Amino acid sequence: MSDITTWICTGCALLCEDIQVYTTNGQIEKVEHACIMGKSRLTGCKHTAKPMIDHNDVTVDKAISQAANILKNAHNPVLYGWGNSTSQAQIAGIELARVLNAVIDSTSSFCQGITINEILQGQIPSCTLEEVREKADVILYWGADPMSSHPRHLSRYSYFPRGDMRQHGYEEDRKAIAIDVRQSRTAKICKDMFYRIPPGSDLEFMKALSDALDGKVPKLSFDMDIKRLLELATLLKKCEFGVIFAGLGLVYSIKEDIHILSGLISKLNELSDFSLIPMVGHFNMRGFNHNLFNETGYIHKVKFTDKGPVSGVEYSIIEQLKGNADAILVIGSDPLASLPGALSKRMEDIPLILIDPCENLTTRAADVTIPCIASGIEEGGTAYRMDGEIIELSPFIQSKGMSDEMIIQRIIKEIN
Amino acid sequence: MAVDIGRFIKAPEYNITIITYRDVFQAAVCEEDRFGSEYQDLSAVIILDAAQMKHMGITEGSNVRLTSKHGSVVVKTRASPQQEQKNIGFMVNSPWSNALVSVDISDGFPGYKHIEVTIAVSKEEITSQR
Amino acid sequence: MTSVMEIYQLLPKTNCKECNESTCMAFAVALLSGSRQYTECPPLIKDDKYHNSRIKLEEILKPIQGAEETGLIVHEELCSGCGNCVVACPVNVANDPHGSGRGFGPTNEKVIFRVIDGKVKAANIEECRRFGKNRIMCNACIDPCPTEAIEFV
Repeated sequence: MSDITTWICTGCALLCEDIQVYTTNGQIEKVEHACIMGKSRLTGCKHTAKPMIDHNDVTVDKAISQAANILKNAHNPVLYGWGNSTSQAQIAGIELARVLNAVIDSTSSFCQGITINEILQGQIPSCTLEEVREKADVILYWGADPMSSHPRHLSRYSYFPRGDMRQHGYEEDRKAIAIDVRQSRTAKICKDMFYRIPPGSDLEFMKALSDALDGKVPKLSFDMDIKRLLELATLLKKCEFGVIFAGLGLVYSIKEDIHILSGLISKLNELSDFSLIPMVGHFNMRGFNHNLFNETGYIHKVKFTDKGPVSGVEYSIIEQLKGNADAILVIGSDPLASLPGALSKRMEDIPLILIDPCENLTTRAADVTIPCIASGIEEGGTAYRMDGEIIELSPFIQSKGMSDEMIIQRIIKEIN
Repeated sequence: MAVDIGRFIKAPEYNITIITYRDVFQAAVCEEDRFGSEYQDLSAVIILDAAQMKHMGITEGSNVRLTSKHGSVVVKTRASPQQEQKNIGFMVNSPWSNALVSVDISDGFPGYKHIEVTIAVSKEEITSQR
Repeated sequence: MTSVMEIYQLLPKTNCKECNESTCMAFAVALLSGSRQYTECPPLIKDDKYHNSRIKLEEILKPIQGAEETGLIVHEELCSGCGNCVVACPVNVANDPHGSGRGFGPTNEKVIFRVIDGKVKAANIEECRRFGKNRIMCNACIDPCPTEAIEFV
């Protein structure tokens, strides 16, 4: 007879809470309702990490002591990763940064940080995914392809489900729009409401849309029927509850011009009711921003100093790896695979500590590897869903190993 | 004696811009077996407009060398099932696309979504991850 | 998707009636619906000149043989488990309004679509709107599929 557990999926920042896992004697037999990303997260990796120093097997205790030594002796240590850690591990990490006067950053410094910052600063209104399900009649995927990054996004919340105010199903009650440079899987679902724009022209499109909303004749330097743009503007004006899902395509096109997006959303809110939700990837990437904000008033790119925390682009992971970093602790991330290859050499040259349940490309460059158990599966805690809601995770496998939070706490102890 | 003249002629190079995107199947494989051949098969690929491939003399499934100021990799080509914009190639985010990405930036945002490269037919094997 | 013309072109096209259908076209329709096998055409089996046609028919009719009575096929290798079909299928919604209809995984056994181990599985096919006396050409599961993993043959 199998045991059935309800699991909160940590496959992405949707944190789906309806997953049913069937186990017999602790062995997973079947998982229901999870997409392939969730299923893969649950299956886990083929190559698990082992405690190592200089690629030689050691005990976990030795690896932790060595990590503490490296960090203590560094002048400018950088703590990086955090998207796959619980909030509790992140808060421990912020404490470690404080103890070391270190730089702490996450992928958010080149991902969704700018949109999350606008939301936390009150510049862009946001809403919950439940509100999207119950109320949204216009859904705009901008530079975002949830069908490829968050598979259950459209079925759980944003398009297909029937909501309190959207009882007639998606065909009648909701309009889904995609703005993208390519016909993504999401764009295909949006059919004739797909607006294809040339790479890098999001700002131009945004300005033209803004003109159309003002009743001016919009101009575009690229080939698109202006009538379609006017049609879009009318749809946005008339909507009851609109949501923009901002993807990396949009973020990379606007970067420091985020105020233009905030401006467009303000304008939309004079005409109807509009919110924005960032398409956050890793299950607790957003948590890092919230937790660091709560502790320091900054969401990322932070350096602790004797006078308190400071933030700036020079403390972003990229700038640190180009310049000052003389030791790096990587947690729940694989920068050798995910950061530009031009930075690999630098990562190989400086002392690198890796905390992860799995062997990854960064293991190659790691001077110290410390395996941890899988957050949300073998260890509990809380995480921030992509819309900023706090979710209590539901581990269901008992493991002997240490969580990333316990490892960080041990490092702090050894440093003090 | 037959001389393989092709050996001495450099394959023509073209300038294109690569835009990266995500793929759910590749992401799932990465989670389970990131060193496996399936991950490489789903990652080390560039998708191009079919007509433009023909113009460049690239046959579907053949290998090409992509070279930017920052790195160079050999990947497989695939024709897009739909018409794409000229001089644009698409690659899934992976160590292969990342090898080409610029860090000559000052805003903390690497050039992930806009990678300028030259593309040339290549007889070399696909660049390995490790 | 295989068309009836595609199948017809591979048949002898002599309308010999040895299969007991009135024409080769009628036999092609029966093959497409899965109610007959191509091996029931005597000339096709006996005559060697149809060797290539037999191979081709075997290949194009293969998916049809795996189909349910409604003609439903799920290509699991293409499925990402997104659940769009689970939530969009009108039968799922009617039989599980507070589960599937609201975007959750199904909460009872009466649904057609359910995602197991990251891939969609079909059950209760007799409930499908394409089945039975009052059948209609419903496309509610095919249309929202981002990867063309579902088809009807």
